[in-house]
Amino acid sequence: MSPTNEHNSLHIENLTISRDKTPLLSLNETIRGGEVLTIMGPSGSGKSTLLNWLTGQLPKGFNADGKVYLNGINISHTPSYQRHIGLLYQDALLFPHLSVAENIAFAMPKGDKKARATKISFALAEVGLAGLDHRHPDSLSGGQQARVALLRVLLSQPKAILLDEAFSKLDSQLRQETRELVFEQIKQHKLPAIMVTHDESDAIAANGKVINLKINQQIN
Amino acid sequence: MSHSFIAQPQEPHKTKASVRFFSALVKFSPKLLMAILILPVLGGLLGVILPAFGWLPALDKTQFNLQGFEQLIQTPGIIKMIALSFFSSIISGLLAFIITLLLLATYFDSPWLARIQKLLGPILVIPHAAAAIAIAFLIAPSGMIARLLSPWLTGWQSPVDWLLPHDPFGISIIMGLTLKELPFLLLMTLSAIAQPALNSKLRAQYRLALSLGYYPMTAFFKAVLPNIYPLMRLPILAILAYASASVEMPLILGPNTPPTLAVAIINWFHDVDLSLRIKASAGALIQLLITVSVLITWWLLEKIALAITCKTLSNGKRNYGDAFIAKGMQIFTVFLISTIALALLGMIFWSFAGYWQFPQAMPEQWVLLHWQSALQQVQTPIINSLSIALVSTSVAVILTLLTLEYEKQNGSQLSNCSSLIIYLPMMIPSIAFLFGLVWLQETLHANATFINVSLAHLLFVLPYVFLSLAVSYRRLDPRYAQVAASLGASPLKIFIQVSLPQLLIPILMASALGLAVSFSQYLPTLLVGGGRLNTVTTEAVSLANGASRRTSAVYALIQMLLPAIAFSMIWLVSTWQNKQRAQKMKTEVSL
Repeated sequence: MSPTNEHNSLHIENLTISRDKTPLLSLNETIRGGEVLTIMGPSGSGKSTLLNWLTGQLPKGFNADGKVYLNGINISHTPSYQRHIGLLYQDALLFPHLSVAENIAFAMPKGDKKARATKISFALAEVGLAGLDHRHPDSLSGGQQARVALLRVLLSQPKAILLDEAFSKLDSQLRQETRELVFEQIKQHKLPAIMVTHDESDAIAANGKVINLKINQQIN
Repeated sequence: MSHSFIAQPQEPHKTKASVRFFSALVKFSPKLLMAILILPVLGGLLGVILPAFGWLPALDKTQFNLQGFEQLIQTPGIIKMIALSFFSSIISGLLAFIITLLLLATYFDSPWLARIQKLLGPILVIPHAAAAIAIAFLIAPSGMIARLLSPWLTGWQSPVDWLLPHDPFGISIIMGLTLKELPFLLLMTLSAIAQPALNSKLRAQYRLALSLGYYPMTAFFKAVLPNIYPLMRLPILAILAYASASVEMPLILGPNTPPTLAVAIINWFHDVDLSLRIKASAGALIQLLITVSVLITWWLLEKIALAITCKTLSNGKRNYGDAFIAKGMQIFTVFLISTIALALLGMIFWSFAGYWQFPQAMPEQWVLLHWQSALQQVQTPIINSLSIALVSTSVAVILTLLTLEYEKQNGSQLSNCSSLIIYLPMMIPSIAFLFGLVWLQETLHANATFINVSLAHLLFVLPYVFLSLAVSYRRLDPRYAQVAASLGASPLKIFIQVSLPQLLIPILMASALGLAVSFSQYLPTLLVGGGRLNTVTTEAVSLANGASRRTSAVYALIQMLLPAIAFSMIWLVSTWQNKQRAQKMKTEVSL
């Protein structure tokens, strides 16, 4: 592989995930920086399990065989918190005991307090949330919370992003806006991304490869 | 959006020493927790079994024999002692169970259920000794009930010569135990059925039965009870086990000639004649058998009740005198709550009473003297109570949190076997292993009285702290931790900055419960401390029989105040937190 290829890429090599010895899914993919791979399929087909494996949090009862390379480095056995793979769920999951700014600061690398605060205010303004730094997350609207969650992931300096039904709780207008914002950021920062979704319009908006998983591909 | 707020990706950093230490600590905690619970109990049991069969090297007895048991059988009144222990526990357990069911059935669909829960809640944390003292004041011939009814109803001008408390049939014990067990059973049941999924299912089934024409109480017994009884079984077995071997209640309320077996064992153990320790150990083993047979009896009763009622469940009968029973229960509830209020009031009266002649319902003279003199003497016991409780509770809370964190990191709950071990000190009568534990600790480190007593308290504090924290910890949305990890937070950072702050109130609640459990411990303090470490509870018990009723009232009230202070502090913190949050939301809305 050439160094340009290695930079900003997520490579899944010969992955097989099985549950109680029943194969659930197999995958062999490379996602380059700025691209979004869409995974679709009915519940139970292993979409979320795939994301759990990628973040290093495969639940009990599942087995996985295969490797994952992030920017050319094998991270298959790296603990979750050192993988630098950001995660967005359908719920914003902002920490209820922290303010908006504190939620983002939680994700940022350590550094000068003032510089961090400035950076947070600036980032909030960039996504149309100027001045909301010290608000409590619960007082934000659903769309605002989703944008704070996105900022939190981005400012944690991830090397890849996973979207787990990230837009499914937003109504259609908001959904489109938030989606555009997220994809724009992914492209801008050349991050490889995987999106799990039920929604065709998500897949079309992602404008990338789509994989359809079927339920329990039981071919022994 | 042209500006990029992402810096260059960092190189993966090495795992920090603190993070490595934390993960080692988390891995080690469940084992330590298990060891803390198993070793003293098993070691203690061994330390009772050996002397029971005649092996007591301290007295130069190293031959196994059955002398202890022979002495025990020859003890006058032994059968009465055993019967008293057995029947007082099974009857009080049965009464508490029936009243709990009737309260639930009467108020299942009424706002009064929550109110009764709030009223009875505080009794849960009142130490057994204090409750016993309060009940003694209530039912004694010169107690509050007699005063209220005299002379207009009874015609008594002076206290009658009735043996109350200390009645030979243990009715006072049964009353005390029932009043103390009832809140426990009711609150445990209510918290078990408060789980959202189960609660909505039960409510739906209840409404369905009503819509089919079942009267409310019958609907509860036929549609709800069969589903919640399995959740009540463990708390019931716990109260039965406790009651069969409890010491404070029979000591304060029970007969003296003969007392219950548990009280007799304590007397033998403290006798100057050291050879009685063999008899005491044999008695402790018999005590264990009594507890086991109480539990088996309950199991049999359960089978019989099931066999009788299983056909009636579907017999279609929709009314069993519901309206009459419901009326009766409403009157009983008023009676129950006024009894408790009267007991408390009586104790407060006594603690301030100067001259107070029978049958006056209120003291004629109010003085602060008893409080003043008690407060001078009670300082050391209070400091002892507080420091033992703080040490044992902090250890219990930290160990529990780390064990639950291990569960979370490992993605699976503790095995059934481990959960059983956590309940072990609740189920095995403490008298059966505490002697052994004393002997063990004296052999290992005799002079560390404070540490020994704190360790013994830890045994009893840990199960309650674990039970109360586990529910909230396991209910935490795991995705918060996953998000935090994906943001690069180490397990240590997630634990301290994500999990703990979200659990602030449950942690405080568990700590208050732990403190309350430790404050109330009598036997472990007395036996392990060897009388060298006095707490408010040991003082209150030793004053209850003998000293002036006024002093005794003050000590019992101090005993109640300690846990009350702990719980009101939690209440203050949580209201303060809620207010802060509400304030934040308010200013935000006006922005």
